[in-house]
Amino acid sequence: MLCEFDYLAPRTMPELFDALAAGGPDARILAGGTDLLVNVRAGLVTPKCVIDIKKVSGLDGLSFDAKNGLAIGAAVTVNQLAEEPVVREKYGLLVACAESLASYQLRNRATVVGNIVNASPCADMAPALLCYDAQVVIASRQGSRTVPIREFFTGVKKTVLAQGEIVEKILVPLTHAGGSGAYEKLKRIKGHDLGIVGVALLKKDGLVRMAVSSAAPTPILVRDCKAGESADTLAQAALQAVKPIDDVRSSKEYREFMVQVYVKRLLERV
Amino acid sequence: MKITLTVNDQVYIRDAAPSKNLLHFLREDVGLTGTKEGCGAGECGACTVIMNGKSVNACLVLAPEADGAVIRTVEGEALNGELSPVQHKFMEHHAVQCGFCTPGMLMSIRDLLGRVPKPSVHQIKEAIEGNFCRCTGYQQIIEAVLDVTGQLTKDNKGELRHV
Ligand SMILES: Cc1cc2nc3c(=O)[nH]c(=O)nc-3n(C[C@H](O)[C@H](O)[C@H](O)COP(=O)(O)OP(=O)(O)OC[C@H]3O[C@@H](n4cnc5c(N)ncnc54)[C@H](O)[C@@H]3O)c2cc1C
Repeated sequence: MLCEFDYLAPRTMPELFDALAAGGPDARILAGGTDLLVNVRAGLVTPKCVIDIKKVSGLDGLSFDAKNGLAIGAAVTVNQLAEEPVVREKYGLLVACAESLASYQLRNRATVVGNIVNASPCADMAPALLCYDAQVVIASRQGSRTVPIREFFTGVKKTVLAQGEIVEKILVPLTHAGGSGAYEKLKRIKGHDLGIVGVALLKKDGLVRMAVSSAAPTPILVRDCKAGESADTLAQAALQAVKPIDDVRSSKEYREFMVQVYVKRLLERV
Repeated sequence: MKITLTVNDQVYIRDAAPSKNLLHFLREDVGLTGTKEGCGAGECGACTVIMNGKSVNACLVLAPEADGAVIRTVEGEALNGELSPVQHKFMEHHAVQCGFCTPGMLMSIRDLLGRVPKPSVHQIKEAIEGNFCRCTGYQQIIEAVLDVTGQLTKDNKGELRHV
């Protein structure tokens, strides 16, 4: 049984900000609920009020234009993104990361934005968004601001979001769109396990971009590399960027080892 | 709060606490206990139902989120006392042992067949990735889906083979 809370479903952004202000620290935003409701069930969070953002007009948008690229609204689910033809055509790495996340029915609920706001080190959408230099559009009653995704995460489950702020959408520019990308994620069982370590690699116009999940307090972007650099150099670059820990799921050494294995494997795939 | 929803083509109006999940709402308030609770945390898939055309874990949906929704559960599979073709094939292939995962499996398969009429073994495996079975084993379930989609034939020894 879940703790008792009120449920609000605002229809407009002003209504949403009113609800957030009224609820204060006891209010929680509900998107797909696949992180929030699990945490509520476990007693880790005990909200007095849950604010469902899925009915707020404008937040369900998933759009693409040839000048600005892709815009992913806060209510867009992981499956919606992965099944969108233009995303499959231009942002293959987003699709690869999306399809590695949980199970099909979970992805029908889980949102892309919820995944990054939850800010787990193993968030699977983060490596792709880092490689594409995504921008996070944050809105509050006072207005809006845009933060590059590599500055969005500040620690384990921590982000730059302040009280009263929400993520309205994620913008994915065209700079690295159309590149060839792939994601390798180490886990015990596909569809059920959080990643032990994950590496995304995106290659375009002689540039290689890599990002790693589950190997530092936040998902991280590796320094830009050149396609001409050797596999060993690229593996070293990734290794230098990560800072893994020992935990129940894996040792630090194994994570470091697998980061390098995956960089090399991905280079052969893209 | 008052919640109105359509389950298996029938409209239900019920009062429920806003913090109740759809799984408990279906079982306790609507009275449809076919949908099962396994882990209660989105991992096992025993509570999979179809909500507005998409498979979801009912344990991770709040009842008020389903206000106005169209839901299908395992009780909607059989029509006028006649099992659905997938249910028949589950019986034929012994894809049911204890039966606890079956309602969720059937819903994931219904969702799959709506998207992919002739799924490959790989696509079937991906579609039931979020459904744990702890006793039947997955092979019989995969065979039932292959059969219902016309992808199994008998070889000369009478053994079923993938076409
Ligand atoms: C069984 C299971 C398996 C999973 N497997 C994976 C996996 O393989 N990989 C992975 O990366 N994740 C996994 N997850 C975690 C989870 O599904 C994802 O992180 C998901 O993308 C979260 O999105 P959501 O819409 O469900 O978020 P919610 O649970 O609705 O929200 C998550 C958090 O963000 C806040 N929030 C949501 N949207 C906004 C917004 N727009 N503005 C401000 N705050 C907001 C909420 O208040 C909450 O604190 C798994 C979860 C479960 C239950």
